[in-house]
Amino acid sequence: MVHEVPTGTDELVADLVAAIGPDRVLVGGGARHLYGRDSSIIDGGHSGPVCFPDSTEQVADCIRAAVAHGRDFVPRGAGTGLSGGAVPCNDPVVIATTRMNQIHEVDVERRIAWVGPGVVNLDLTRHLAGTGLHFAPDPSSQQASTIGGNTANNSGGPHCLAYGVTSAHVAAVEVVLSDASTVVLGEEVGDAVGYDLRGAFVGGEGTLGIATRIAVRLTPDPPVVMTLLLDFKSIVDAAEAVTGIIAAGIVPAALEIMDQKVVQAVEKFVSAGYPLDAGAVLIVELDGLPAGVAREVEIVKRVGADNGVGTVRVAADNAERELIWKGRKNAFGAIAHIAPRYYLHDTVVPRTRLAEVIEKVNAAAERHDLIVMNVFHAGDGNLHPLLMFDPREPGTLERVHAAGEEIVRIAIEAGGVLSGEHGIGLEKRRFMSLLFSPDDLAAQRALRDAFDPLGRANPLKVFPTGASCGDVVGLTEIPEGVWV
Amino acid sequence: MSSPSYTELLDLDSDSLTTCVACGLCLPHCPTFRLTGDERMSPRGRIALMLALQTGEAACDDEWYNSMETCMQCRGCEAACPAGVPFGELISGARAAISDARPLPLHLRIGLWALTRPRLLLTGSRLVALLQRLRMLPRVTFLPRRLPLSGSSLPRRTEGDVILFTGCVMDVWQPEVHDACESVIEVTGSTVLRSGPRTGCCGALHEHAGLHDSARELAEHVIATLQGDQQVLVDSAGCGAALKAYGDLLGTPEAKVFSERVLDVHEWLAERSDALPLADVSGRPGVIVQDPCHLRHVQDAHGAVRQVLGHCSEVVELNDDGLCCGAGGSYSLLQPVMATAARDRKVELIRDVSARSGANIVVSANPGCSMHLATAGIEVLHPIQVLAGMLASPGEVVGGSPAGPAGGADGR
Repeated sequence: MVHEVPTGTDELVADLVAAIGPDRVLVGGGARHLYGRDSSIIDGGHSGPVCFPDSTEQVADCIRAAVAHGRDFVPRGAGTGLSGGAVPCNDPVVIATTRMNQIHEVDVERRIAWVGPGVVNLDLTRHLAGTGLHFAPDPSSQQASTIGGNTANNSGGPHCLAYGVTSAHVAAVEVVLSDASTVVLGEEVGDAVGYDLRGAFVGGEGTLGIATRIAVRLTPDPPVVMTLLLDFKSIVDAAEAVTGIIAAGIVPAALEIMDQKVVQAVEKFVSAGYPLDAGAVLIVELDGLPAGVAREVEIVKRVGADNGVGTVRVAADNAERELIWKGRKNAFGAIAHIAPRYYLHDTVVPRTRLAEVIEKVNAAAERHDLIVMNVFHAGDGNLHPLLMFDPREPGTLERVHAAGEEIVRIAIEAGGVLSGEHGIGLEKRRFMSLLFSPDDLAAQRALRDAFDPLGRANPLKVFPTGASCGDVVGLTEIPEGVWV
Repeated sequence: MSSPSYTELLDLDSDSLTTCVACGLCLPHCPTFRLTGDERMSPRGRIALMLALQTGEAACDDEWYNSMETCMQCRGCEAACPAGVPFGELISGARAAISDARPLPLHLRIGLWALTRPRLLLTGSRLVALLQRLRMLPRVTFLPRRLPLSGSSLPRRTEGDVILFTGCVMDVWQPEVHDACESVIEVTGSTVLRSGPRTGCCGALHEHAGLHDSARELAEHVIATLQGDQQVLVDSAGCGAALKAYGDLLGTPEAKVFSERVLDVHEWLAERSDALPLADVSGRPGVIVQDPCHLRHVQDAHGAVRQVLGHCSEVVELNDDGLCCGAGGSYSLLQPVMATAARDRKVELIRDVSARSGANIVVSANPGCSMHLATAGIEVLHPIQVLAGMLASPGEVVGGSPAGPAGGADGR
């Protein structure tokens, strides 16, 4: 189907070009095709002009032009989001922050850095080499994803178990709102006086405005880090071990589980020597002072033994440690060996109910005749069941969505929530009403409206709505809100 | 859609295209995405556009061509891809498909043709070298500022334990690298037979530019002239990667057997490093390693370079995951703006690392990279030259000239 470019586009483009220059505004069909999607399974977005501003003022100019021509605007970082937060609906102006990738200022003594939203997460940590500091949030996409995107999604990552998610590491943020005005939320030092608007903005998925400069907190590197790889006969045993470790009074830096299918897929890519015959592996990272870490290693080994651990491998050096993590952090990409697409859920359940929930999730997938793979932040109870499928097989999509919905319900019934760290975006908005009452949602919408009374900032995201996105409405047999 | 020929134009393996799950982990490893932040200049964007052309969702317009033509073919994305998408194969197929519709500029076609004529190349190069010395030639960025007058020697031996592949342009412009390799190989107790002008060019640049037929002809010629069962050692990363891929390019059992004989010279030396004398590294200036893409991403031989270099110096890393310097075979001629931007980024990093570490020698195991960086005033040696220098005069520091990365020319 040929999508028609809305009227008034020429005038809009002229204004954008006048504001930021002709080579910073893409209007070609190829560009709009690519900017129509992100890393999620949602296809069929429709991008208007794609802009590459390089300053706060230029972001404001782009927003001003969009709104003046009656268009929405959608911010985009690296486009590695998994819930469709950056998928454009209804030909909005897409504002890509990839050129705002300057590290403006690093204050080692106060452990604060001001960065552009387009700075790649891992680039900041690399830039800090030698200072003894790093940027703690480490989503699996950290080598590619931007700090602006991490802020918008309040991203997590393996090490958020001990260090907290992105919100804990954003001290202040400069934001351009939908009326093109610029505000700074939060404080470099201490907590905000009055309402914590910074806290409200982080995780706003671009619906509250666009972050143009971010003050991030820097975390001291731990004196000692030990990484252990434990293998278990079953994923349930591994989950029981996680509960045991936490119950023993330890908060490891990270606790990650991968099931056998995931291990087999990632081993193909990294050759890290993961045990291919184990039912599941558990990665445990311990950090802190040498004596404490040594004691914790012994406790982890003991808890492992109590739960029938096979072998316990302790990474001998940094290279081995990095290899173990490389496998974990490339898991989502590596599983493409199994099937061409995956539908990834991001539910969180109380840690003590992990084993029981995983069994139910696996049973649900089996009922719908789907392969499910599990790789997740076990310490947080943050599940990432991946339903593998080939969209070219007739009837598959219906089974994927039915199983997905069951998985969400299983998590919520176990006292869990919809999303741990990937955001709601387009993908999970229809589930919001499973978790929130109409009053809850109305309160959240009032907050959104306070930031964006015009409703132009990344609309149709987060909140359940009858409106769909572009011409994907044609796929009516699929539950509203999710497109594959 | 107006043109009926899309699917005819591009006939790529659709399973390879759909293996890409668009996770985006390739993005930071792509030099053109790093420079532009533009999805069209990224591996996953290029894959999506290839797929879109095949399915009729994208038009075959200038935007599409530009996306394909700006790819440096460094294959950094391929090494980074957890799904194992064969990007090199895909972009190579796309480039070959568009080579008719988008013919290469005349000067490049002449240049690529000249590579297949070793005598002409040597004579022409000597003429240029003479004119350079007489200051009768304007400076052109893609040529070394001072070509050698002599060029390479003919094969010195008619037999040897191993074959040293000497290639085309490298044999003429950087014969001293072959000399260094020969001397180091001989230290390990093996004799060297140089492939010489009779074998000539490997065809890597032709394959890179989408000229499949020329590449295949050259590959067949190389295999025919290097019969035997000795190992074929290569000191140019681009040539080595091409020779190792002959099995896939030609698909014949003979070509596959030949490719299995090929090793980068560092890989071969790393296996025999016990035979090399160990130098006292302390007090020597470190050596900054710039990994050629086709050594690191394609051959996965960068570890061997470090193992061998470690014999004579401390290895200083650039820590940029081997991001391409922009040389990319003939890329610097075809896409000068992007190539220069990539080069400048690399040069800035080299100067920064040099200033922080005190290392003032830069090595790269590929003539394309060293010539490209030389146009910005960075003097680059081959790693084996550093090793050969140490073996020849253990007390002296080789290559630590003031024209190293931190000083010297400003690149103009």
